[in-house]
Amino acid sequence: MPADPEKEMSMNDRTLVQIAFYAALTAALGLLPKLAIPVAGGVPVTAQTLGIMLAGVMLGPVRGALSILLFLFLVALGAPLLAGGRGGLAVFQSPGAGFILAWPLGALAAGLIMQKTASWRVLPAAALAATVGGIGVVYLFGIPGLAFLADMSLAKAAAGSAVFLPGDLLKVVVAAAVAETVARGLPSALLSRS
Amino acid sequence: MAFFRKRQQNRAAAAFDPDASPYALLEGVSLTLSNRQVLTDISLRLSERRIGLVGLNGSGKSSLIRLLNGLRLPSRGSVRVFGAETKQALAELPRYVGFVFQNPDHQAIFPTVEEEIAFGLTQLGEAKQTARAGALDFLAQHGCAHLAGKPFAELSEGQKQLICILAVLVMQPRLLVLDEPMSSLDGLASRRIHRLLDGLDQKIVMISHDLSLLRSYDRVVWLEAGRIRMDGPPAEVLPAYEVDLEVRAAAPLNGEDL
Amino acid sequence: MISLYMPGRSWCHRLPAWLKLTGLAVVSMAVFPIKDIPVLSAVLVLVLGLYASLGTRGLGELRALRPMALMLAMIFALHAITGDIWEGIVSVERLAALVLLANLVTITTRMDDMLQAVMRLFAPLGWFGFSPRKPALAVTLVLRFAPVLLGVYSSLREAYQARTGKRGSWRLMGPFMLQSLAMADNVAEALTARGSADGLADNNPGALPARTIT
Repeated sequence: MPADPEKEMSMNDRTLVQIAFYAALTAALGLLPKLAIPVAGGVPVTAQTLGIMLAGVMLGPVRGALSILLFLFLVALGAPLLAGGRGGLAVFQSPGAGFILAWPLGALAAGLIMQKTASWRVLPAAALAATVGGIGVVYLFGIPGLAFLADMSLAKAAAGSAVFLPGDLLKVVVAAAVAETVARGLPSALLSRS
Repeated sequence: MAFFRKRQQNRAAAAFDPDASPYALLEGVSLTLSNRQVLTDISLRLSERRIGLVGLNGSGKSSLIRLLNGLRLPSRGSVRVFGAETKQALAELPRYVGFVFQNPDHQAIFPTVEEEIAFGLTQLGEAKQTARAGALDFLAQHGCAHLAGKPFAELSEGQKQLICILAVLVMQPRLLVLDEPMSSLDGLASRRIHRLLDGLDQKIVMISHDLSLLRSYDRVVWLEAGRIRMDGPPAEVLPAYEVDLEVRAAAPLNGEDL
Repeated sequence: MISLYMPGRSWCHRLPAWLKLTGLAVVSMAVFPIKDIPVLSAVLVLVLGLYASLGTRGLGELRALRPMALMLAMIFALHAITGDIWEGIVSVERLAALVLLANLVTITTRMDDMLQAVMRLFAPLGWFGFSPRKPALAVTLVLRFAPVLLGVYSSLREAYQARTGKRGSWRLMGPFMLQSLAMADNVAEALTARGSADGLADNNPGALPARTIT
């Protein structure tokens, strides 16, 4: 029995709600029309990976990854929650499947970095976590995935993916700024640091 | 992964007496939240059918009623509800004490009305199918059958609050605690909800800023800065509270006590 | 809830969800290694035939390919640039077939049935002392939060626009998160108030008579 049963019990519910919250946030970011930024090449870039970054940065590795898994679970069940109203099992057979399947790992990595850099200030720690988790890990799995699924060389796949990079860098800036804001305004919500 | 695990608590330890009188007993209760003393040395015996709670924002009303269902535990003193020390009975309390929050949007957990009501029944151990049927029945009993399939987000404010109250009532608690349930409602909706509450068998403890709603109550407790300022029948407490408000309001605006 | 499901009573709707899911996995694995254009074309025609068997509405569901059209075109172009036009055709045909097959399962299976089918896989969690109820509750919470978050964002945007005359910007993300996180904490509190994620079922059996709502 924990020392403080009230805390233990409400943390339990709170954790569950927070995991659902970031899954919903990731969904909402794909639906917000005002946040969709069109980028050269016609590739629709949305704020959705911002949800991946934030889940890891705010929740920590395990809860962050679970949150994104939950989001993908809903997508697989047939909810059209991916940007552009995509969803269903088709998503996981599409050429971009590698990127999407890497999302939980990206959140995991971002969460780990937040924990390892606990002595840093929130802003630089979150920026590093979002870059490594939200860009590094996602591309690390996404590009080979694209190469494999579309029968192309890694170089070609990488070149094709590069169009997403400017948008993703912008999202790192936003993720870090949001983490900093929450750390000041509602520190208890930064579960990765508590 | 700890949160995936089922709650490990000694559930049988608490001895509830659903007919206990007083149903709630607070003795020397103080509550400190993040280094702020919210309640100081409160002792109360609650046994009346209808109890109102008044006071300014920040006076500790919300914290006080959260002591009754274990959402807050006293930093000092003891809180017994239906004979059980809340500290030892957390897991069981929702069965006896229903809690209605101020903002229905913050209370509803499910996307549709039917699921919201059925949740209470599954919480009590009913299977999904029977809970669903039970929810539909319960909605029909309260003239809300047509709302069953509606998304919660599309209801009017009054409907939302009604559903939140029904979602709690379906669990048949003995005590209903309400935190300013009428604050977002228009005149008609607030009167209708008031009538619904009036007819219930449950004991009620309600916070309200609309003092007219409390005139018919059995007892009113006035809280100020975390202490009990006055406690008695509404005919005594409400006029005194109103005079105090008038006196304070007449002082020059200073941005301090708003 | 918004869903890609297409209501209907076709042969494919009537198959149990688990069968469709297993079938999809098996067929996808079989189709993936095919590199032969005639065979792949035949597979694609067969898949189109499956859609046609659902009626005209079924054919309309082929629009699932539309959001992917750009991506497929890009993949084809990347192949074509280096001269592998045939390889480009293979890739595009195969991806289209796989995506359409998966989509077929999605549009003919209700989300609820899909959830039920998958939830059975979570049941073993109970043997290890985990709560199999939590994943289902989490799914519901997501469906509940998503529209609320959109609402919070749009009222913030209105407030911002009312005072600045400008449309929403990334700067709203900070306040948006603070407001919606506070809302999430309230929902967590409400969940605790109603007996927590695990429910009250196995608490204190016999303390109260079984309740029936009549």
